Amino acid sequence: MPKVSMTVNGELVSKMVEGRTLLVDFLRDTLKLTGTHIGCDTSQCGACVVHMDGSAVKSCTTLALACQGAEIMTIEGLADGETLHPMQTAFNDHHGLQCGYCTPGMIMTAVDMVKRLGVPDEETIRAELEGNICRCTGYHNIVKAIAAGAEAMNKSNG
Amino acid sequence: MKFGIGAAAKRTEDRALTTGKGHYTSDVLPANGLRAVMVRSPVAHATFTISDEAIGDVEAMDGVHKVFTYRDVAHLGPIPCGFFVKNPDGETATVPDFTILQENTVRYVGDAIAMVVADTQMQARDAAEALMVDYDEKPAVVDVAEAVKPGAPQLYDQYKNNTDFDYIVGDEDEIADVFKKAEHVVTLDLINSRVVTNYMEIRSAIGEIDRKGRYVLTTGSQGVHSLRTTLSKSIFKEPPENFHIITPDVGGGFGTRFAIYREYPLVLQAAKILGRPVIWIADRTEHFLADYQGRDHVSHAEMALDGRGTILGIKVDTLANLGATVAGPGILVPALGSHMLPGCYHIPAIYSRVRGIFTNTVTISAYRGAGRPEAAYLIERLIDKAARDIGMKPETIRQRNFIKPSQMPYTTLMDRTYDSGDFAGHMKKAMEIADWKGFSARHRAARKNGKLRGLSMATYIEACSGGAAETAQVRLERDGSVTIIIGSQHNGQGHRTAFGQIAAEHLGVSLEQINLVQGDTDRVETGTGTGGSRSVPVGGASLNIAAGRLAETLRQRAGDMLEAAAGDIELEDGVARIVGTDREVSLADVAAAAIDAGAGGTLSEKDAWTPPHYTFPNGTHAVEVEIDPDTGHIDIVNYVVVDDFGMTLNPTLLLGQVHGGVAQGLGQAMLEKTYYDPDSGQLLTASFQDYCMPRAEDFPDIHFETRNIPCKTNALGMKGAGEAGTIGATPAVINAVVDALHRHNGLTHIDMPMTPESVWRAVNA
Repeated sequence: MPKVSMTVNGELVSKMVEGRTLLVDFLRDTLKLTGTHIGCDTSQCGACVVHMDGSAVKSCTTLALACQGAEIMTIEGLADGETLHPMQTAFNDHHGLQCGYCTPGMIMTAVDMVKRLGVPDEETIRAELEGNICRCTGYHNIVKAIAAGAEAMNKSNG
Repeated sequence: MKFGIGAAAKRTEDRALTTGKGHYTSDVLPANGLRAVMVRSPVAHATFTISDEAIGDVEAMDGVHKVFTYRDVAHLGPIPCGFFVKNPDGETATVPDFTILQENTVRYVGDAIAMVVADTQMQARDAAEALMVDYDEKPAVVDVAEAVKPGAPQLYDQYKNNTDFDYIVGDEDEIADVFKKAEHVVTLDLINSRVVTNYMEIRSAIGEIDRKGRYVLTTGSQGVHSLRTTLSKSIFKEPPENFHIITPDVGGGFGTRFAIYREYPLVLQAAKILGRPVIWIADRTEHFLADYQGRDHVSHAEMALDGRGTILGIKVDTLANLGATVAGPGILVPALGSHMLPGCYHIPAIYSRVRGIFTNTVTISAYRGAGRPEAAYLIERLIDKAARDIGMKPETIRQRNFIKPSQMPYTTLMDRTYDSGDFAGHMKKAMEIADWKGFSARHRAARKNGKLRGLSMATYIEACSGGAAETAQVRLERDGSVTIIIGSQHNGQGHRTAFGQIAAEHLGVSLEQINLVQGDTDRVETGTGTGGSRSVPVGGASLNIAAGRLAETLRQRAGDMLEAAAGDIELEDGVARIVGTDREVSLADVAAAAIDAGAGGTLSEKDAWTPPHYTFPNGTHAVEVEIDPDTGHIDIVNYVVVDDFGMTLNPTLLLGQVHGGVAQGLGQAMLEKTYYDPDSGQLLTASFQDYCMPRAEDFPDIHFETRNIPCKTNALGMKGAGEAGTIGATPAVINAVVDALHRHNGLTHIDMPMTPESVWRAVNA
C-alpha cells in the first residue's frame, strides 16, 4: 500500500492507503472526520465538498493519493476555535439548513464561491449551486444565507 | 417571553450541524464492525435458484464471513402491512408476504435475494457481485394501467388481475342519477407520477448484540418505537425488551423512513449469528432500487355541474400502484387519501373507487403528504378543468362551491369533519398579493415578447395531525436545565428548538438550557413517531400540558422558598421571582431543594394528549408562469402562498417547512419522475444523473403569509404544516401552465412532469 501525506485542517497527516481510496473515505474512515458526507455515487450532490489548496473539490471524485502534499480543509476546520466562520453563522441566522446533511458541502461551496466572486447576486448564487443538492429547504434560505455570509466575509476581509 | 411560543427563534440544532459535528448513522460505526452488502435482483420478474456450491464459493472468498439467503431468515416474520381495507364483498383485503429475503421469486429490479457479510466494504461488494444466481425470467409489468388489463403478466396467483384491494365509497346508481341530471359533465384523466424520496442521507443500519444479549439497531428512522414494535411483534416474535433501537441525527425522512426495511432485521440476525456488529451502508443507486417510493396513481375523474357552475357530484376511479409488495402504510396512502377528494368544496354526491394494484416495481409507501397530495391534485385539477370547459374563471367556480365558514363544522361525504377554515378568505388574499387584476396587462406584455403567460391557483385542504397520542415528558434538572423526552423524531424539522419554545413559554428558561431526548428506546419509554405533520401539533400539545403543570409545581416550591403565594411567582430568565420585586431564587436552587428534600419526582411531568380528529390545514397557492414557446422552459415568475395553519409556533421554522414542501411539489410537477422500461421492467432512473432533482436554479423566491384560524380540535389550535406545501404546489403550478396553454391553443391538460420537451410539445400541439 502506498503512503500519502497531506495537511488536513492545518495538521500534517501521513497514512498508508489502498490506491483506490477516495479522499472522502480517507477523511471519514481513516481520519474520522465525519463532517464531510456522502450523498450520491455520481458526483452530483455536493455533500462531500472540501477545499483542496483553497478551491472547492468533490472529495468523492478525488483520490486520496492525488492529494499528496496538498492542503485540505474540511468543514471541521472552518471555524476559528469556538468562533464560527461568518458563513456558518449566516446559515444559522437565515435558517439555511434543516436536516443538515447537505450543509457541510453547501457551506464549503459557499465559502469557495465568495472567495472567487466576492458578493454574488441571487441569480449567480443559484447558478453556482448547480452541484449541490438539498432536499429539505427548497434552497430559498440557503441562497439568503450565502448572500448574507458573503457580505459578512467581505466586511471582515475589508 | 423571548423564545416562547410564536417567537422566530434561531435553531439550537445548527451549531453541531454547521461545524461537521452531526452524528448520522454512518458517522458512529463500531470499531470491530463487519460490512454487509445486499445482493439485489438485476431483473424485474423471475424465479431464481442459488446452489449450495455458489454460496460455498463466495464464502471461501477473502474476508467473507457468510452469505445470508432466505433459509437463514425463513423463521422471521414478513414486513407487516399496517392498515387494511374491505373489498366490495365485505372481506378484508389481504397482502402477500413481504419476506425478509426472497425465497425463489423476484418481482422488481432491486428485490432482495441475499446479504453478504465480510470484513471490509470492498470485500463484501466483490463477494456480492460474485454470487452466482440462476434466473428464469418472466414477463414483467410496471405500468398500473397495463397491469389490470387482461393478459397482463401476473405477480401473484392469488391476486387476479394484479388487484390487491378494491375500495369503494358511495353508491354507483345514485351517482349515475346525479350525472344524468347534470347540465355539464367534465372529465379528466390524470397521472400522478412516481417519485423517489431522495433524502440526502442515504439509509444505513448497524446491528449489534449488547451485553444483555439484546438486539441493538442503530438506524435513521421517523420513530424508534414503531421499529421496535415491528421487530418484536411481527418479525422476530420476541418480547420488546429484547430490542434496543437508536436513531441518531437523520438526514431527512419525508415519510418513507417510517416503515421498516429488510436490512434492519438482517443486520440484527447477522450480528447474532456472527457475534460481531454488522454495518450496512447503502449507496444512492440502492436508494432508487430498494427504498419505498411515492405516488404513482392513474385516475379517471368526472364532475357533474349545474348551469351556474355549482358542483352536483364527482366520480373518481383510481388505480394506485402498490409496487410489488405492501409495507406499512402502503394501503393507507391511496385508501385514506381518497377521503380528501372533496377538497374545499361542498359536494353533494360522491362515488370513489380506488384499486390497489401490484406491478414489478419498488413498493410504494407514504411520501410527504401520503395520499392527500394525490387527492388535492385530482380535485384541484378537476375544478380548474371544469372552469375552462364551462367558461368560468377559476376563482369564480371555486368561490361558488367553497364550504363557507358558517357551515363549519362541516362533515364531507367522505367522512371528514372540517372544524374551521375560510377558504374564500385566503383565496382573496392570495389573489391580491399575486396582483390578479394586473395580469391581463402582464399577459399582453409577455405576448409582445413572444412568451406565453399563465396564472392560476390551487386551494387545497388536507387532513393531518391525527392518530394516537405522543407522550411528552419534561423535567427540571438539578443544574436548572430542562430535559424534554419525547417519542417523535427529528428528521430536520428543528424539534429541539420547536419543543424547546413550548417548554420555555412555561418555564422561562433559555433554549440553550433545554435538551431534547429522542431516538432511543432505552431513554424514551413510548412513542408514536414523526409523520402526518403531527410532531408539534400532537407531541407539542402533550408537552404544553406537561410543561404547564411543571411550571405550577415550580411556582409552588419557589413560593414556599420565598414565602410568597405561588400565584405571585413568575418564571423568567432561569429564575423564579416574586412579580414586581427583585426577590428571586434560581431554578437550579429550586431543583436542588426539591431533590434534597426527596421530592425530585415532582420535578418531572408527563402528558399524553390524544387528538380527537384530524386537523385540516388549508390555503391557496397562486402561481404565475411564463413559458418560452421555443424551448418549452417554464419560468415561475410569481409564487404566492397564503396558508391557514391555525397557530404559528415559530414563523422561521414554519416558512422552512413551506419552502421545502413547495420545492418537493414543484419537483414532482416539473422535474422528477421514476421511469421504468415498459418491456424489461428495468429502472431507468437509478441515479442523480438520470433522476432530475430540483436545483437552486429551478425555483424562484416564494411569498408566504399565514391567515391563521385556530383549530378547534387541537389543544394548541394548530393544524400542522409539514406536508401542506407539497400538497398545494403540484396542482397550483400545473393549473398555471394549463392556463398559459389554454390561452395559447386551447389545451386543457398537461401531465406531470412538465419537462421542457413536454411543454414544447403542448405549445406546438
